[in-house]
Amino acid sequence: MNPLPDLNPCPIWSSWALAHLPVGLLVLDSQTRVVFVNKWFLQHAGLMTEQVVNKPLFEVFPQLTDSKLEFFLNQSMTLGFPTVLSQTLHPSPFPLYQPGVQRTQDKFLRQSIRIIPVSGEAALSLGQRYTLIQISDVTQSVIRERLLKAQADKLKGMANLDVLTSLGNRRLLDESLPLAVRSAVKIGRPLSVIMFDIDFFKQFNDNYGHLAGDDCLQQVAQVLRDVCRRPHDVVARFGGEELVAVLPETSGKDAVQLAEAVLKGVQNLKIPHADSAAAVWVTLSAGVAAFDPCSAATSADLVGAADRALYAAKHQGRNRVCTAWGSTPT
Amino acid sequence: MNLTEIELDALTEVFNVGVGQAASALSQLANATVRLSVPKVEMISKQNISNELTSQGADRICAVRQDFTGVLNTEAVLMFPVQQSLQLVQLMVGDEVPLEQLGEMEQEALAEIGNILLNSVVSGMADVLKMQFDGSLPTVELGPVADVLCGNGQMQEKVLSLQIDFAIDALQIQGFLVFLLDVESIDSLKTTVRAFLKDLE
Repeated sequence: MNPLPDLNPCPIWSSWALAHLPVGLLVLDSQTRVVFVNKWFLQHAGLMTEQVVNKPLFEVFPQLTDSKLEFFLNQSMTLGFPTVLSQTLHPSPFPLYQPGVQRTQDKFLRQSIRIIPVSGEAALSLGQRYTLIQISDVTQSVIRERLLKAQADKLKGMANLDVLTSLGNRRLLDESLPLAVRSAVKIGRPLSVIMFDIDFFKQFNDNYGHLAGDDCLQQVAQVLRDVCRRPHDVVARFGGEELVAVLPETSGKDAVQLAEAVLKGVQNLKIPHADSAAAVWVTLSAGVAAFDPCSAATSADLVGAADRALYAAKHQGRNRVCTAWGSTPT
Repeated sequence: MNLTEIELDALTEVFNVGVGQAASALSQLANATVRLSVPKVEMISKQNISNELTSQGADRICAVRQDFTGVLNTEAVLMFPVQQSLQLVQLMVGDEVPLEQLGEMEQEALAEIGNILLNSVVSGMADVLKMQFDGSLPTVELGPVADVLCGNGQMQEKVLSLQIDFAIDALQIQGFLVFLLDVESIDSLKTTVRAFLKDLE
């Protein structure tokens, strides 16, 4: 440690150099009175030297009283150790703005702050403990990180989306069903899975063409979205004309009601289907499986059970809901 | 040169006072109750710490480092498995969105959290043992355990290691605080702890 030669004497160019630093600098004496402020800080605070220098910091910035900055400043001055205040945990402690922009609260610069108290021996030779507050503007970094995160979220969303129906795809289902099962076990709440299939969809495509088939799938998907719309519901296209709903906090009985609402909604679309043996409109079959949080069943068991129930619904003449625990005719 | 069981027990108590102060500062920051405890203090080799962290499935760790100089010179390194450091930042920020990576901003938040902890622990020790230290600003480092611990030196070198348990709401996080000490510094630590124990008699 060699404190004295660093502090004395000041070269003649030092104040010029300090005035050109692109960071804010404040030096406080041991009574938190401002003894020095640099040009960058004044410009970004919109203040004149005489409004800041020789004034207590908390008089210049009364909004800092009882703030976290005050707490950590006091702690740093008491312990004599430097302190970091991150932008993430304290976005904008000082009211600083980009010069020239309209001064509103949402335009505060994002700040990364370092509080550096003069340490033991140097404090003795200076007669008291001065503290340097250094403020860097990290607004641009924050904007950049936010953009990157938004991009990543968007790409992730796209990777899990079925292009035709805008429902989730198989990948989303494979990711979210095990999570839903785990959370059902953890909180001891029910979970249900419904598997839907459009009745005689191959004949529909053969008769009306694939474009009409795509349109039909999109309309059915919309009904499914409208019925299963709680935030944690997941609806996905399992493959071809098979659609799946994963319904957390839903008992088997409630899931049957939702499945019937979907079937009814699709019937009400009244999409003509001349080659269906089930009705004159497009209809669905559905299989419902309920998860028992006390069982050791896996997500694959649950999908398998829903699939078997769906098979039973088809076997019994389609356009109906069957359950994995016994059939309930529509 | 090594510290005896009694000396290590004394240090465990001293460090628990320090983390107690850190816990109240972190609670303020998180607007939640943060509890910290130091269940044990040991002199162990870097290799042992590396093994312990690796056995927790943490091949990559996140470290906050600070230098402290004075009667003894030490580099303090606070380490978490990367996944746990993400959870810690998330809890402190109160963010519900799960983080997948430690970006620039998260690393800085971690520097702040580590800074609070290291300052409290070292000042607690300085108070009780009547020592004086100067501290540096924290830096954050990500990498394999061996790289972080062994910038220079051998994996067989012994360090003073504190296991630190964090409890925030329902979540438990375990970290390690390691003090890298040279031989002279271990000597002066031992002398200081002995003097402290003698005063208690």
